[in-house]
Amino acid sequence: MQYYEPKSIDEALSLLAKHGAEAKVIAGGTDVMVDIKYKEEPACLINIKKLPGLSGIQENGGSLRIGPLATIRELETNAVLRDKLPVLWEASHQFASLQVRNTATIGGNICRASPSGETLAPLLVLEASAKCAFSEGERKQPFLSFFEGPGKSVLGAKGLLTEIDVPYPSAGSKGVYLKHAVRGAMDIAMVGVAILMTPDAGKSNIQDVRIGLGAVAPTPVRAPKTEALLRGKPLTAALLKEAGTLAATEASPIDDQRSSAENRRWIVEALTRRGLEQTWKAATGKEVGQ
Amino acid sequence: MSVTINTKINGQSISASADASTSLLDFLRDTLEMKGSKLCCNTGECGACTVIYNGKPINSCVTMAADANGAEIITIEGLADGDKLHPVQQAFIDTGAVQCGYCTPGYIMSVKALLDRTTKPTAADIEEAVSGNICRCTGYNKIVDAIHLAAQKLQVR
Repeated sequence: MQYYEPKSIDEALSLLAKHGAEAKVIAGGTDVMVDIKYKEEPACLINIKKLPGLSGIQENGGSLRIGPLATIRELETNAVLRDKLPVLWEASHQFASLQVRNTATIGGNICRASPSGETLAPLLVLEASAKCAFSEGERKQPFLSFFEGPGKSVLGAKGLLTEIDVPYPSAGSKGVYLKHAVRGAMDIAMVGVAILMTPDAGKSNIQDVRIGLGAVAPTPVRAPKTEALLRGKPLTAALLKEAGTLAATEASPIDDQRSSAENRRWIVEALTRRGLEQTWKAATGKEVGQ
Repeated sequence: MSVTINTKINGQSISASADASTSLLDFLRDTLEMKGSKLCCNTGECGACTVIYNGKPINSCVTMAADANGAEIITIEGLADGDKLHPVQQAFIDTGAVQCGYCTPGYIMSVKALLDRTTKPTAADIEEAVSGNICRCTGYNKIVDAIHLAAQKLQVR
């Protein structure tokens, strides 16, 4: 196995251009080290952990710029992130164990492109975007169109994620991230649901709602039909029930060792209802109508 | 491909070579013959291999040995002062928090890192600090007792 520690983004990109699909990028290593041991050792390993310019978390006007090398623990302990982006904070807080959070990076969680990646459904509802660098140049890519399948993203074999830009949700909006897993810590989500709701000015209707589903499709997905159903309406018990049922149809889960597909749909339904109820109460101060 | 690793372990500067794919745990155990950190799940899920890396507890089994370059690492071997055990080690003995003992070094490193951050941990702090450590003998209550006792002793010091 060839091994490189590039000193600049350009150097990393030219290594990727040269080695392409034979190369594996490693940062924290919490996923890649397991692959090296139990799956396959790549022909070439490119360690970007110490690459300058890819770390840190900074406010940037109306958004938070997160360096892909920021660890999940750095996200979890960032006061601005906790205040402005509670949906992403909650996902960081529920992420694996303290040991893993101290090492794993948000960039790794994203580039791994696992449907169950803890931070992904939150990034979808926050409508965050990625800065992707290629040797031909750089481009901005919304996460809504970033993921292409399990382990696959627009980065392909030659791109590098260089920045994550997360706009602050509109004032008055409330969000939640709900994760269903057997063990509290460490476990991979059977289902993760992220919800961001903005009430109208009178706090009597849902002006906008975004629902992100994790671990129930080949990529993390939004639930656009359910969002459309809810928009412009007050949340009632009947609407809540309908929304949960519809959200379950927007998931396309698989059977695996963590859960059956059928069970996953039930959980999507339950967590969607629970999340909508929580965000409605928090955003409007009202109970769900009868 | 071999890499040279210049690192500081338990205060001692060390220079050694390892294959680039080597984990920090294998580097500690097999290259440096420091067998205190335990190999168990080898996938970053059980915490038996926990060491303190630049002040933070991490799973050494899923960390590259190459990332030890320029870092400061504390392992279980670095805790006792000669024959005098570290207060966290002593607290595990005094409360009977050791059963088969295999998870103990990892627990002690997680708890040391916690008590380096605060000597007055809340119940939530304790739960968070050791949530990545598994004890298959399931002696969790005694471990929590040990953490409280160690915290008390460190407050007095």
